[in-house]
Amino acid sequence: MLILGIDTSTDILGLALMDSGQLKGEYNLSLKRQHSEKLLPLIEEIFELLGVEAGDLDGIAVAVGPGSFTGLRIGITTAKVLGRIFSIPVKGISTLEIMAAGAEGEYILPLLDARRKRVYYSFYQRNGNKDNNFLKEVKKAASAGISELPQILNEYQNQEISIIGEKTAEVRELLVENNFKTRIFEAEKNLPRAAVLARLGGDYICSGQADDIYQLKPAYLKIPQAEINWQQKYGSK
Amino acid sequence: MAANNMGVEKVNYKNKLKDKDEDIYILALESSCDETAASVNKNGLEILSNVVSSQVDLHKKFGGVVPEIASRKHLELLLPVIDQALAEAGIEFKDLDAVASTYGPGLVGGLLVTLTAAKTVSLALNIPLIGVNHIAGHIYANFIANPEIEKPLICLTISGGHTDLLYFEDLRGYQILGRTIDDAAGEAFDKISRFLGLGYPGGPAIEKAALSGNKTAIYFPRADLGDSYDFSFSGLKTAVMNYVNNEEQRGNEIDQNDLAASFQEAVVDSLASNLIKAVQEYKVESVVISGGVAANQRLREVIAERLKEHNLELYYPPLELCTDNAAMIGAVAYYQYLERDFAPLSLSAEPSLKL
Ligand SMILES: [Zn+2]
Repeated sequence: MLILGIDTSTDILGLALMDSGQLKGEYNLSLKRQHSEKLLPLIEEIFELLGVEAGDLDGIAVAVGPGSFTGLRIGITTAKVLGRIFSIPVKGISTLEIMAAGAEGEYILPLLDARRKRVYYSFYQRNGNKDNNFLKEVKKAASAGISELPQILNEYQNQEISIIGEKTAEVRELLVENNFKTRIFEAEKNLPRAAVLARLGGDYICSGQADDIYQLKPAYLKIPQAEINWQQKYGSK
Repeated sequence: MAANNMGVEKVNYKNKLKDKDEDIYILALESSCDETAASVNKNGLEILSNVVSSQVDLHKKFGGVVPEIASRKHLELLLPVIDQALAEAGIEFKDLDAVASTYGPGLVGGLLVTLTAAKTVSLALNIPLIGVNHIAGHIYANFIANPEIEKPLICLTISGGHTDLLYFEDLRGYQILGRTIDDAAGEAFDKISRFLGLGYPGGPAIEKAALSGNKTAIYFPRADLGDSYDFSFSGLKTAVMNYVNNEEQRGNEIDQNDLAASFQEAVVDSLASNLIKAVQEYKVESVVISGGVAANQRLREVIAERLKEHNLELYYPPLELCTDNAAMIGAVAYYQYLERDFAPLSLSAEPSLKL
């Protein structure tokens, strides 16, 4: 079962090919705003290097954010079209879950910078699900001010919390000040890795949890600014 | 095509590239503004399907297209419009010879949706990717509407964004004879309309006011750019503003309608004169005017009148082809295919692409 993982949600362009649980290859490239120019050439390159053709794929895993809306649409468009042409399953996976699944520990706090002292976060428990091996999302993905995190997590003050992603040093300092137990990770573990995405995608697809490619879209945690302005002026709808 | 997409040309596509005596099927996609569109055409001008899903109603309450909302909608509508275009054409992905998408000009977030989709189709099926200029698409819409149009021809394309005079030997490419060195014609209409408080868009507003005005009431100078076919409208704009300021200082009342008519006459005269000059020099068989400003009745009247003595037919696009669609993109793509003008997978969206 050959799965292609595609992540264009953050500055990192992630691509991985996972063949029945075995990693064939992986790119994690900090390319900033070049996803449009680089994604398809790199997919072509990784296929060529590994002797794979697009038609060999059995499934696609794609990161659905939070992240840059434009970046997300590039990856998701690619996943949808591949899924449509080859009639193969596609699974969209939260960028926060990819980070958490790649980290160690029982309680995991993945973070993405949301600017202006805010973060996108969710909170996972590794062995929280009785009937499967997927992480349990204890707190749903949302955005919050960094200073609100101790309050949000207060019932987990006695657990060791693995902090992963962006703004980790700042958040750790704050949590430690508030008597939390925390750990952080080395650079190579502190990112959403494409291999983790591809592995997770394979697991989800095998357990029958693929997405409807017609409904698949980014995890827009924010409605468009124009809509917010309009609602402030005229009330909602 | 004048503007090539650069990059190293890939040669090992799935199928041998076809020539114009063979049937060529192209899937074309378009999402540069607020229409999500897909089409399949056969040999360029034969349109097998042309699906357009408009988001106009979605943006109405905001008084204009909201880029982020448009991009979200394009992603949602992408697969449904492609499916419908293929189904109506009775074609499957494997039958395609090439895939095309607009890559500019337009809103970058929107452009990236169909451009990325086209790249993915190209990679997945190993068929050529063709990047199409949206403005060229609007011009080729004329050739879809009038496939019998005789070549060589001159095309004047005029809108809020551009003013270009083009020469077509045949449909495989064009030569730019002249373009505006400052404002586009439509832009000049908009600016003067706003200055006179006539509203937006300026073209129809000025045209309406001009109907009850005297076009010879005020003489505004036409730009003299010597032998070139270029256009310039910023001098005219300044002349109108100076005229109004002077009259106001003298305490004279200004007749808005006379002013609009005189201004419009100056723009029309500049456009028509350059066009006629090119027609004489290049000995063409037909003349096409396209773009938003081509809807101006006075412009059509003057050009048609002056073309009479040259015995030339004037073509302008039917209204339904003035809106964005993918068939026009596919028509351009066909001729690019014949020229082997293919794009690499690294092609990026160019929001301010010119002809
Ligand atoms: Zn257009």
